[in-house]
Amino acid sequence: MGQLQNFSKGFVKDNPVFVLLLGLCPALGVTTSAYNGLGMGLATTFVLLSSNIVVSLIKGFIPSKVRIPSFIVVIASFVTITELVMEAFLPALYDSLGLFIPLIVVNCLVMGRAEAFASKNNTLSSIVDGLGMGLGFAFALTLLGGVREILGAGEIFGLSLFAGDGMLVFVLAPGAFIGLGYLVALNNIVKKKLY
Amino acid sequence: MVLTLIIVAAAASFTLATIYNLTKEPIERAREAARQEAISMVLPEFDDLEERSFMPPTGSDSLQFNMAYKDGELVGIAVATYTGMGYSGRIRAMVGFQPDGQIIDVVHLEHAETPGLGDKIEKDKSDWSDQFQGFDPRENTLKVQADGGDIDNITAATITARAYCDAIDRAFQTFKENQASIINMEKE
Amino acid sequence: MNILTVSGSPHYHAKESVSNLMYGVIFSLIPAMLVSFYFFGLPAVVITLTAIVSCMFFEFIIQKYLIKGPVTIFDGSAIITGLLLAFNVPANLPLGLMVIGSAVAIGMGKMTFGGLGKNPFNPALVGRVFLMISFPVQMTTYPQPGAFPTRFADVVTGPTPLTKLKDGIMQSRTVSEIMPELPEYGNLMLGNMGGSMGEISAIAIILGGIYMLVKKIISWHIPIAFIGSAAIFAGIFWLINPEVYPDPVFQLLSGGLMLGAIYMATDYTTSPMAPWGMIIFGVGCGLLTVIIRFFGAYPEGVAFSILIMNAFVPLINRGMKPKRFGEEVKNG
Repeated sequence: MGQLQNFSKGFVKDNPVFVLLLGLCPALGVTTSAYNGLGMGLATTFVLLSSNIVVSLIKGFIPSKVRIPSFIVVIASFVTITELVMEAFLPALYDSLGLFIPLIVVNCLVMGRAEAFASKNNTLSSIVDGLGMGLGFAFALTLLGGVREILGAGEIFGLSLFAGDGMLVFVLAPGAFIGLGYLVALNNIVKKKLY
Repeated sequence: MVLTLIIVAAAASFTLATIYNLTKEPIERAREAARQEAISMVLPEFDDLEERSFMPPTGSDSLQFNMAYKDGELVGIAVATYTGMGYSGRIRAMVGFQPDGQIIDVVHLEHAETPGLGDKIEKDKSDWSDQFQGFDPRENTLKVQADGGDIDNITAATITARAYCDAIDRAFQTFKENQASIINMEKE
Repeated sequence: MNILTVSGSPHYHAKESVSNLMYGVIFSLIPAMLVSFYFFGLPAVVITLTAIVSCMFFEFIIQKYLIKGPVTIFDGSAIITGLLLAFNVPANLPLGLMVIGSAVAIGMGKMTFGGLGKNPFNPALVGRVFLMISFPVQMTTYPQPGAFPTRFADVVTGPTPLTKLKDGIMQSRTVSEIMPELPEYGNLMLGNMGGSMGEISAIAIILGGIYMLVKKIISWHIPIAFIGSAAIFAGIFWLINPEVYPDPVFQLLSGGLMLGAIYMATDYTTSPMAPWGMIIFGVGCGLLTVIIRFFGAYPEGVAFSILIMNAFVPLINRGMKPKRFGEEVKNG
């Protein structure tokens, strides 16, 4: 598998949200707007990329019995770093993402890539994989957030598209499930056409 | 095996401690800026700020009063108030008073009301809360019209409007009770 | 998927077909429709027609261009969905929202799952709940009934009896204080109260229900279990504290309970097949309705409770299989 495919698989073919159905908690919880989705996606990308790098570097030293606790410590550290930096420099985004930042620790996607990919591959591949998967996750969250923002509030990235109220249900929790369901279906169509 | 875990944990703690120290100051600055912004939204220009807490006549928690001075003279008081009557959870708001008790402006700090209905208390969602600008609670009643007051209702969100009035009224009642000591402080 | 399932003889041929049954349901809805036309006038007629036409339109579009299968818009099921959806909204709902609601009911509620017979949730209720959550202001501004008004420009709007009650209770007033402000039971029975178009008149709905029972379009299990359990459950609360919980008669006559129990919960696709399953389903609906009305954030819970119980139908069907024709009853 070439690095290009390794990178691009995260967008449609093996998209973490639409195909692997990993990390659904933040995907459903924070995507009330495209901006929140993008912010959450990029924060996760940062954690995923950093943890993939570190895990692939230290995989030789870690005995396999304690690899899971070690990976968790690594991931949790990067999540805390993200949280502190975001609170310091992006307080508004930090407020709207709130609890979901610390919850990146338990995002199956990060742990899954560390265990299934980074601990078995070299650093370069792990970087590419982390970037591809992370940006694929960010892409999915931004798309879902965008759909919900357009239909629910009539805006995209805070820019008003049409006057009047949107369909509130899309801003609320049920809209996340409805939107995700239709996007998964759409992704299946696109995937069938491409591969 | 144990050694590896110790090393990993130690490395992680060291990194975190460093980052924590680096971000500590910016985080505090960001928090202070958010508070200052809310205060300056409801008060005229000021150059000095003093904090005090007062117990409201009703309710369990004390209210934080921010007395604002310009050239040593009291120009306004920003009160961080709350209500438990909201449709979902507590609503917090910042109310600015003139020294005589007239309301300058009100801005919400935190709420979990229904999007599209109760969130009309937010200034950038609706101009509903503009009616508090210049509202004089000494002469008018801080209640929605349905309860015999002078505040317009929010369509289909009576409970939120009622709760918001309750929060502002709590700030006003506390202010009225302690008005003497607030004015005196200025003389000290 | 063209697998022919052959069951053991004897085979019994009934005259019923999908469209015969559907048109029977539509016929039985006429009294309730006339009541809503009488009290809400011309706007009610326009809303009803909009809902029916747009439901058929979206069914046609989706069947023809998305599923690319046979078009069955005249089997009556889309008409019923439209009619019931119109019955579930206030008569002064903007027409654009009615079209959105129809698109959601048919597109999301029915066609996403493959069409008639495959949808787990009642399409009309999916449309109603979608509208309710999305446009709460428009969906809770009810015109007060008058004798055949032609427009609503200056007609008084007001809350339904249930909303009035809920607001009163939240201001910690007692039921006996609020009750005199609400319509009398006679008016609740006839339909002279604020509310969604088709839900206001208990008597018209019961008439339609009796017609359907006589014609064997529905069986008695679900409506009786639904209404009965709601009455008993509400009655228990009423006996415990009549100052906070209103009496069961009010519960039965107000809101959409009758409409829900007789027309929405009995939808073939989304209700259990066996009699005992139907009873469990009905009791669940009744309990949930009362719980939502008493303790929930919304004043009315019929739509939500039926949708929740819809989700349990596959489970109920698994445990309660209908008796096969000719099978002997064991231990009988």
